[in-house]
Formats: sequence, structure tokens, C-alpha cells
Amino acid sequence: MKLHRLYAVMRKETREIVRDHVTLATAFLFPVVMLFMFGYAISLEVENVSLGVLDQDQTPSSANLVDAFTESAYFKLVRNYSSELQIRKSMEVNEVKLVLVIPPGFNALVGRENNPEVQLLIDGTYSATALVALNYGMTIVSRFNEEDDNSLIDVQTRIWYNPSLRSLIYVVSGLYAVIIAAFPPLLTTLAIVREKESGSIQQIYASPLTVPEFLLGKLIPYGFIASLQLASIVALGYYWFGLPFNGSLGYLAIAGGIYVFCNVGIGLLVSTITNSQLLAVLLALVITMMPSILFSGFVFPIYAMAEPVQLYTHIFPGRYFVDVSRGIILKGAGPAEMVRPLSFLLVYTFGVFFAAVAIFKKKVA
Amino acid sequence: MSTLNSTESSIERAVKGSPQADTTTPTGERKAIIEARNLGRAFNKQMVLKEVDLTIYEAEIFGLLGPDGAGKTTLMQLMAAILDPSEGHCTVMGHDTVKDDYWINSHIGYMFQGFTLYDKLTIAENMEFSADIRGIPKELYLERQERLLKMAGLYRFLDRAAGNLSGGMRKKLSLCTNLMHEPRLLLLDELSLGVDPASRHELWAMLNDFRDDGVTVVMSTPYMDEAEHCDRIAFLHEGEIIGVDKVETLHQRCAGHVYELHTKDRGRAHNRLVEHPDVLSIRHLAESVHFQLHTANYIEADLAADLKADGGRIESVEPTLDDAYTMLSGGEKSTAYAESPPKIHLPERLPEGGLIRTKDMRVEFGDFVANDDVTLEIKAGEVFGFLGANGAGKTTFIRALCGLQKLTSGDAWIGGVSIIDDPKRLRNHIGYMSQRFSLYPDLTVAENLSFFAGVYGLQKGDKKKAMDWAISVTDLSGVMNQLVADMSGALSQRLALACAIMHEPAVVFLDEPTSGVSPAARYKFWQLIQTLAESGTTIFVTTHYMEEANYCHRLGLMHQGRLIGIGPADELTAALPADVEAETIEDMFLAYIKIEDARLEKERQAASGGGI
Amino acid sequence: MWSRLKSLMLKDVIQFSRDKTILGVVAWLYTMEVLICGYAMTFEVKDLPIAVIDHDRSVVSRNLIDKFTLSEAFEVAGYPDNQEQAESWMRSGKVKYVMVVPNNFGQDLRRGETPGLQILLDGTNSNAASLAKDYTAAIVKSFEAEFSPESSRANSTVRPAVQIWYNRAQTLESFVVLSMIVAAIMMVGTIHSAASITREKEVGTVDQLMVTPTRVWEIFVAKTIPTLGVGILAFFPSLFIIWWFGVPIKGSLLLFVFFMAIFLVSAIAIGVLIASITKTLQQTLLLCFFGLFPILFLSGTMTPIESMPSFMQPFAYLSPVKYFMDICMGVFLKGVGFAELWPAALNMAVIGLVLYVIAAWRFKHNLSS
Repeated sequence: MKLHRLYAVMRKETREIVRDHVTLATAFLFPVVMLFMFGYAISLEVENVSLGVLDQDQTPSSANLVDAFTESAYFKLVRNYSSELQIRKSMEVNEVKLVLVIPPGFNALVGRENNPEVQLLIDGTYSATALVALNYGMTIVSRFNEEDDNSLIDVQTRIWYNPSLRSLIYVVSGLYAVIIAAFPPLLTTLAIVREKESGSIQQIYASPLTVPEFLLGKLIPYGFIASLQLASIVALGYYWFGLPFNGSLGYLAIAGGIYVFCNVGIGLLVSTITNSQLLAVLLALVITMMPSILFSGFVFPIYAMAEPVQLYTHIFPGRYFVDVSRGIILKGAGPAEMVRPLSFLLVYTFGVFFAAVAIFKKKVA
Repeated sequence: MSTLNSTESSIERAVKGSPQADTTTPTGERKAIIEARNLGRAFNKQMVLKEVDLTIYEAEIFGLLGPDGAGKTTLMQLMAAILDPSEGHCTVMGHDTVKDDYWINSHIGYMFQGFTLYDKLTIAENMEFSADIRGIPKELYLERQERLLKMAGLYRFLDRAAGNLSGGMRKKLSLCTNLMHEPRLLLLDELSLGVDPASRHELWAMLNDFRDDGVTVVMSTPYMDEAEHCDRIAFLHEGEIIGVDKVETLHQRCAGHVYELHTKDRGRAHNRLVEHPDVLSIRHLAESVHFQLHTANYIEADLAADLKADGGRIESVEPTLDDAYTMLSGGEKSTAYAESPPKIHLPERLPEGGLIRTKDMRVEFGDFVANDDVTLEIKAGEVFGFLGANGAGKTTFIRALCGLQKLTSGDAWIGGVSIIDDPKRLRNHIGYMSQRFSLYPDLTVAENLSFFAGVYGLQKGDKKKAMDWAISVTDLSGVMNQLVADMSGALSQRLALACAIMHEPAVVFLDEPTSGVSPAARYKFWQLIQTLAESGTTIFVTTHYMEEANYCHRLGLMHQGRLIGIGPADELTAALPADVEAETIEDMFLAYIKIEDARLEKERQAASGGGI
Repeated sequence: MWSRLKSLMLKDVIQFSRDKTILGVVAWLYTMEVLICGYAMTFEVKDLPIAVIDHDRSVVSRNLIDKFTLSEAFEVAGYPDNQEQAESWMRSGKVKYVMVVPNNFGQDLRRGETPGLQILLDGTNSNAASLAKDYTAAIVKSFEAEFSPESSRANSTVRPAVQIWYNRAQTLESFVVLSMIVAAIMMVGTIHSAASITREKEVGTVDQLMVTPTRVWEIFVAKTIPTLGVGILAFFPSLFIIWWFGVPIKGSLLLFVFFMAIFLVSAIAIGVLIASITKTLQQTLLLCFFGLFPILFLSGTMTPIESMPSFMQPFAYLSPVKYFMDICMGVFLKGVGFAELWPAALNMAVIGLVLYVIAAWRFKHNLSS
């Protein structure tokens, strides 16, 4: 490996990137747009759940119960029914998600020995938020006119890292790993495959450049760009989405750097087995983007998956970085806690790079 | 500017004064630089190159000549050691291409076809990259850069991005980047692809200088006229070398074999020639028929008598490299003279048939004027050739006439119908064959034909009649079920033509129809074109391949969007000032460009002079 | 005209059937992709890894811990030695939940002194945390009931009686399977039509067609019909996946296929529009992929539209996917019929038509400039 040749490739690559305004703009715009879109679009927030009420009692008591629902931030009253028949139709056209049915004589029964029963009907189509909404509803009903607490055990729950339980924090902190798995590998692959398609790579073949020099010369500038991409989305998360930052910035930089180079390395590896830009895009999608959404645990918790699927998730580096970024940013985790995922990422990075060097041949076919 | 008469030594010998620099051994034998023995290469189990035995000597310009798909690029890549052979071996400068590939990579210059510069980098940066990856020290590199770029006439544009250079300039720059380390061997794959005639001249001047300095140049090309400039050439035909020799020797071999026949009935002459066993090839030029015989200096009396029967004249003519290639490859059996199209039922005919008239036709793209007020007239049944370099505006002109490109101003009429007022009416009456043979690669030959027949609204009986005729005249019957994607360039070209003429258009537009096609295939193609013209179809063809001008009745010369000359080739040549020598059509064309440039320069000076 | 249209369509059908890549992609999207997502996309709180610090180490505390271990929601991932280690596990993501049983827990409980049970929850995944909290309360309650049946009389005055409609098992699988089929239909419709038109542009056959008497709308129709056919046919293998995951089919499948055709046409319209903008296949694919993801996500295929911030919700109404999601859930899970769904279908049809018109305009505009 001759340093002057490595510098030559890096210099050439940097000049090409800097002057390619379209690619450069896409490289910086896409991650930010994606964070923005997905940060908002993938939302599990349970608030303003549309509520329908069938109050067959029509007494101050029943009105109080309805108020208890509407006063909470979770529910929004959109419909008052006059008969049970209207409920089904209303649910079918997605007008309401939760229906509260207060039976006649509710008022008369409150506080008596045989407690009255109210009905909660929930549209369970989307179970993830339906369950949460239902639980909120049940809590409101149970607390209604509640007597003194007579629990035997005092459950003291403290919620850490995201005490206000905003799903935005969850989604955005996981998106970092997904976005870095989606764009940098694609950009890197295209950079090499483009040279293959235009034929300029043949000039590289027929020159004294060695394979590691050429690949490293690509890896470093594209790694640098990807690092900037990561920095830009982390900054956006902090300043725009208001994510807390509890860890060390330096430590995040190191961890992020490793992850970034790991993904750029995957891009290099893909480019060694691809000859067309079309195939490169498809492969990048199948190998990096889709798995990083599905199997990284960025919104779909890995612990809830079936056992074999859980094992499968270990192939994808995104899985480790989701833990690392959340650990450092939200939880203030330090080196001790991140050693395992980080050392894995490091091994992974070297692995893909050496595999790329081994597979890449200075031959046309 | 001074490229042609540069007095400086263009490139220094890699090792001055060392024995290797000598091109001959003490015994007077020439020293080999490349030796290929039984070299072969397979792709997907198909041999694209086989049994190549070839010795190339130091300080010669060696040409590899053959149509697309003959294996030229593969052979170049094998010699550059960026492809390993499937069989045999090859040594370059005494090093094996498999074992010592790295050494060879580091010591040769290899230029891939097309444009392989980094478009976003400037000229200087491209040169710098080339120097840096070869570890050339800064001072040495600056000195060489200056010398090389001055020679190429590019030194003034150091900071211009490579992507903004013309084709010719880019090729010269590519060449310079490959000379940074002063290689003793240059491998140039299709050097003149996309280069205008003037730049081609300059490139050749550079190559001749290198050769004189002891550098070996190996170049590949599909063009016979380009190969004429080489010292020695090898013909590649279907992956095999069918002949290696000096250019003059090859010419001599065919001397006395080639004749020109002037006849009124070329169809009858063709059919007489085809059945005769001594005939090797038949070529239908615009005004005459050339034929090549197996036997030298002798035409069988019967044949001669038959050909002269209707007052025809036979003269012996100078052979070309095409003739040598045909002879060595054994020719390809010519088929009977193509029949005229069957009269299928057409909804209407155009009032003026195949007549094309344009008036001040102008097309602008932003500031760029692609067609600058072009006015011309082409008669029905004429084969009209549009000559010009890449970017001269030929394709734009055709696209505009076909209704694919809006005119900025002016108008044009085909068969008396304005292309602006009634473009839809014209669509049934024109055939268009684009540069890239626009066919469906995932359909078979039969499916493509049937599709285009259907699109032109041909029904049942007519459809069958038209398809049968197209298949027979383009000789496609044997490959009806082949996928277009798997076909050679020559077959695709014939199919594209078949698809463009089935509906019996009044005018057929052919954009660069025969580049990279073997001589035999080209002869067949032009024979069909002459038939169509005889039956009244107007043929409008663009080309930058000057040799094809011989097939056209009249030529239009395009330069930077303007029509700078129009008429039959010999009249154009005759019209040149007496002091201008123009042996070939290329010379004639260059002379016209020179006159035009001088005129423009004068105008410009007059304009600025008037300003002061 | 009919013979032209016939030739155009026949050509596209042949091309489709020869293109192994696109057929592979279609098969993958309609089956494997749905299957993988059905397994991977889950928001359930199941086997949440928890750490337990038992300072009491009594029979009572062990019984309580057993209750957690036996529940489906929790899985004990380890017993840390001390609070520091537990917190470190939380930071590294090894556990999401720490339960600390205090000293003398059992003793205090027997004496009726209301011992405290400390729960530390990782709130990162807000919904999981919220549900975990509720599950904890439920487990503790049932533990109390077992511990002293007489003391645990019903302590709330009003009892909620819950009915979960449409998805009684409360799994996300039905939703994911259906929404991924919607995504597959969308992607196939858009990508295939966009790619096949762009490919014709690249090969130059579009120009070739434009010099023939063919009209732009004929090309569009010829591109639409075969894609429509394949898109619908490919749905039938998906039925197997639907069966595999036990998704109910409450409504009429025939009605669904009818609506699917309308949806496909609007998806194809998006593809045609993309192809009218781009020049190369690569641009087309990039635009498809990075355009389709937001469209899909914004239309409620991953998370419900109601959960999005209100300023983003209006955008969903511009997307045909949103309407088709409603149709899909309506037909499969709710058993809704034509009377309720026709407005959604009309919306899709109108969106599709508008896109076609824009695409046709762009096509003609591009040709003549």
C-alpha cells in the first residue's frame, strides 16, 4: 500500500463528490427529509382518540363520566349516539375508535353494592395503539368515583429516559440507524458501479493502483460524507425534535464513526458483486434498507419476535447501533455498557472491508 | 494549433539509450513486444476469441480491424492483463499477462473505448490523478503535463472540466493521461469513436510521432478507412484472426480482383453475379455496382458478356481494405436481388410522394443552435446522405422531420404535407431507424415484426404480405424465433430496417445505420436500400463514416448546425478551389469545414471591426 | 385503432412474461415480503426482558416474582447483584424493566403495612412502557387477590366491560399482513409501469412508437392493462399467507378484487407519472423507492394516521393508499360492503385519473421540446 496512491484516489473522489451538486444535495437532503417524514409519520402516539358515546342514562352522573373521558388528553368526543344501531355503522366507516356505552339506571346504581357496568367498545384493527387507548379508558372508568385506595402493595413506578412517554423520541432515536443503513451504502455502491458502467474503472485496472488502495480511497471520502449525514440527523433530532442528550458526544462520535464505516463497507462489498446500477439499487434495498427497518428494533421490539427471527436479526449491524445510539443519547450509557455491540460492529466493519478486498479483482471478468 | 508540425520530440523513450529502446536486434530482426500464442477467451462458455497467434513488434502502429463483436476489445483487455485468458498465453514486454499482471498494468498505457475520463475533474486534475497513481514526482509530472498538453493543443484549457470538452478533445486528453508514465506500449481501443474528422487527423499525427520515438501502438477499429493509417493490421472475424499483414500488401493481394460495373438494370446484373461461383462480393454504390472475384485479372467471358449485354461498362478499380477483409473471411453468400415491395393496401398516398422540402428549418436548445436555418430539397427515390461529425446536428434534423422534435422556426414538407400543420397524417408514411436500432430486446424477431406491423395498422392479408416481404429482403427467415437481445449488431440492424419499411413508407430515415457492421452485412444492407430507392422510396441517411457517402446519390455536409455544402460527391469535390487537394471524401469534407471556418472568422472580424 | 391497441398490449404481455427479474420481484413482494413482515413487525408487549432485585428473598417475594415469570408479557432476563448493575443493564438495553422487591416485603405484607414495590421502566418505547405499567398493575392485583382473597373485594365502583371488535386476539399480524399486501400492490403497480416505460425510453422504442400512428393514450392503456392483470393475479398466492396468519375474511372477496383493480390503476398512474418525469431507469427506480416509502408510511400502512401530528394528516387524504387501507381493513376485518366503501373507491379513481392526465400532458410536452 502506497500512501501517495491512496491520497490520489481520495483526492479524485473528493473532487468528484464536491462538484456533483445533484448527488451532494441528495446525499444531505434525503437523510434529513427521511428523518423528518418518518419521525412524524411513524407515530404511535395515543392522543385524541376519536370517541363515541351512547349515554342511555342522561343523568349528571353519566355526564360526569363522559366528562372524565373528554377532559383527558387521550380522547376526543366526536359523536353522541341515540341508539345502539348507530354504533356499528359508525365504527365501520372509521368515525370512532372507542365507544362508551352507559346503561340506563347508571346514576341510580353508582355507589351501591352491586356496581354498575359500562361498556367500552374498541376497534382493535390496529392493536398497538388500540390496547393502549383501551387501557387508558379502563383506568378512567375504574377511577370514576373511586373510594380510598385499599391496595395491599404500593407499586411505585418510575419511568426513565422518556418519562412523558412520547413515541416521537422512540422513533427518532431509532431512525438514525435506519437512515445510515439506507443511504451511505447506496451512494458508495453507485460510485463504484458508475465507474464500471462508464468504463473508467478499466483505467484503474490497467494502472499500478492496488485493490486496497482503490477501495480505501473510496471508503474514506464516502465514510466522511456519511459521518456528516449522521451528524446532521442527530443535530436535527436534538434541535428540532427535542430529543434529550444524556451521553457523551465524543463517545457517540466514535460509535457513530464505526457504524458509518461499517455501512459504507457494505456498500463496497455490494459493488464488488454488481455490474449495473439497477442491480446495485435493488441489492442495497434488499440487503440494507429493508432489514434495517424490520430487524433493527428501531420500532419493532426484537424481544417480541419469534426466536428464529431474533437470531436472524444479529446479521444486521443496524440492530447493534439502535441499542448503541439509544444507549448513549437517551440513557447516557458509557463505554462499559456499549463494549459488546461496538466490538461486534468493529469486527463487522473490518470483515466487510477485507471481504471486499478479497472479492474485488482488477479484471474485467 | 501546432500539433501537426510540432518539432519537439513528442514522447521520450522510457529508457534512453538502453538496448531495449532499439527496435531491432543485432541480427536485424525486429524485436517482439507482444506475443500471443493460441490465445482464447470464453464468456458464458462461448468462445469470443480463439486460437489467436499474434506477434506485435516494437515501434509499429498495429491495427486490429473487425466489426463489432469480432473480439477486438477482448483481445485488447487480454493484452492489457485486465482479463485472464481461458486458453493459451500472452507475453507483453517479456512478462506473462497472468503471472505478471501487476507489472504490465504499471508499465503500459491502455485506453478503453468511449470516454473514460472523470468528467467532473478538470484537465489538470485528470492528469494529476493519472500521475499520482503512478507515483510520478511533482516536477517531472508538471514538465510532462506541459509537454503533452501543448502537443495535444489542450494546455490553454487546464482548468476546464473534462465533461465540457468536445469528443475530440476528450480523446486527446485520455491519450495524454495514458502517456504520463511514458509507456513503451499503448493499447488504444476504438480511438476514434465519437471524434470529429479534424481531431481524428490530429490524433493520428500524435500517434505517428510516438511511433517514430519507438513507442508501440496497438489500436482497434471497426472502420476500414482508419485502419489504412496503420503499419500492419490484423483482421478479426468472429473471434479469429483471419489475416495479419502490412496494409499495402493487403491491398496488393486484392489488386485485379475488383471491378466496377455501370449498368442500367442493377437487379439483373446482381442476379447474374450472385449465381456465378467466381463472385466473392457485390456492392451497390449509388451510381455503379462493384464486384469482387476469386480469380485475379480474369472475368469469364460469359459473365462479362452478360453484364455488358444492356450497354454496361466494366472497369477494374483499386481495391480497399473491405475487399481484403471479404477475401480473407471468405465472403458471405449474397442473396438474390431484393424484390420491390408488394403493393399492400394503404389508406392513402401522399400528394407528392417521397419529396422532402425544408425551409429555414431551425432548432435551438437554449443558446445552442442545433439546426441553423437549413433549407434543402430531396427528390423522391433519392438516396441522400447527411455527413457530419458528432454534434453537427444531423440527428436533430432527422428527429425534427419525424415529428420528434419541435422546430424553433421554419417549416418542412414531406410529400407535400407540412410537418407542423399535419404531423399525425405523416406518421403512416415515414419509416425511422434510429442510431441504436430501437427494437424490443426481450421480444423475438417475429414478435418485433408482428408488433410493428400491428402498430402501423396492417391487417391480416396485408400484414402477412408485408412481413413476408420484409423477412425475405432482409434475409431474416432463419432467425425468426431468436430474441433480439441475443443477436449480433448486423442482425439487429437488418431487423430494425425491416420494421421501418414494412408499411411501405414514402420516406425512410436512417440514423447512422451501419457503424460497426461487417463489410458483407453492409453490402447486403445497401443493396436493399438501392432497391427501395429504385421503387420510389426516398432514403435519408446520416453518417459520419465517410466511406458510406459512396452509396448516396447526393450529399449534404453538416457542420455546427449549418448545411455547408450539398450535391453529388464528385460535384462537391469539383467545386472546391483549385489549390485544394481532396482525394477522399473525408479530405473534401475537411476542406469545406476549413472554408466555412475561415468565412465565419472573417465575418466575426468584420463585425468586431465595424464596432470599433 | 383496435389492431394497434391489440398489438401494443400483446407486446407488453409478452415482455412482462419474459422479464424474470420483475416476475421475481412481484412474487417476492406478494408472498415472502408479507410473510417476513408478518413475523417481524410486531408491537406486542411479549417477553419484555426484565431484571429482578429481590432484597427480601422470602417465599412471598418468590411467589410474586413467579407471577411475573409466568405471565406472557414478561421474561426475567437476570437477577442483578445490585442497583448499579441493574441500571447498567438498562442503559445497555439488555433489560427494559427493573423490579426491586424491598427488604421485609413478605413480612410487611402479612402485617398489612403496604410494602412498596419499585418498578423502573425504560420509557424509550412509549407504548410498551405504558402497557407494561398496566400489566404490572394487573399482575400485582391478581397477586393480592390470591394472597388475601377477602381483602381484595372489588374496589372500583364502576366496572368496565370490554368488547374488542374486529381483532379479538389483539395481535398486529392481521394488520401487518393486509397492509403489506397493500404495499405490494402499490409497489408492483408503480414500479413496473414506471420501469417498463422508462426502459422503452432508454432503448429508444418510445421514439420509434411516436413516429408511428400510435397515440400517447394508447401507450398508457397498453401499459396499464397487463400490469393490472398481473397485479390482480399475484394477489391469489397472497391468500395463502392470509390463511396462514389466520386473518379473517369477513366481507366479499370479489368486491375486494374489484376495489383492488381501481387501486392498481391509481398506483399505475403514479408510475406513469414518474416515468414521464425521469429519463433513465436509475432515476426512475430511485424516485420510486424514495417516493413510495413516504407515501406508504404516510398512508397508515405502518402506523395509524390518527396518531400522526395533525399538520401531516391532510397529506394522507391525497394518497390512494389511505383509501385502499380503509377498504382492505373494512372488507377483511369488519365485513363492510359496497354501500360503505364506494366513496373511498371514488376518491382513488379520481386521484388516478388526475395523475394520468398530468402524465399525458408531461409526455406530450417532453416530446415536443
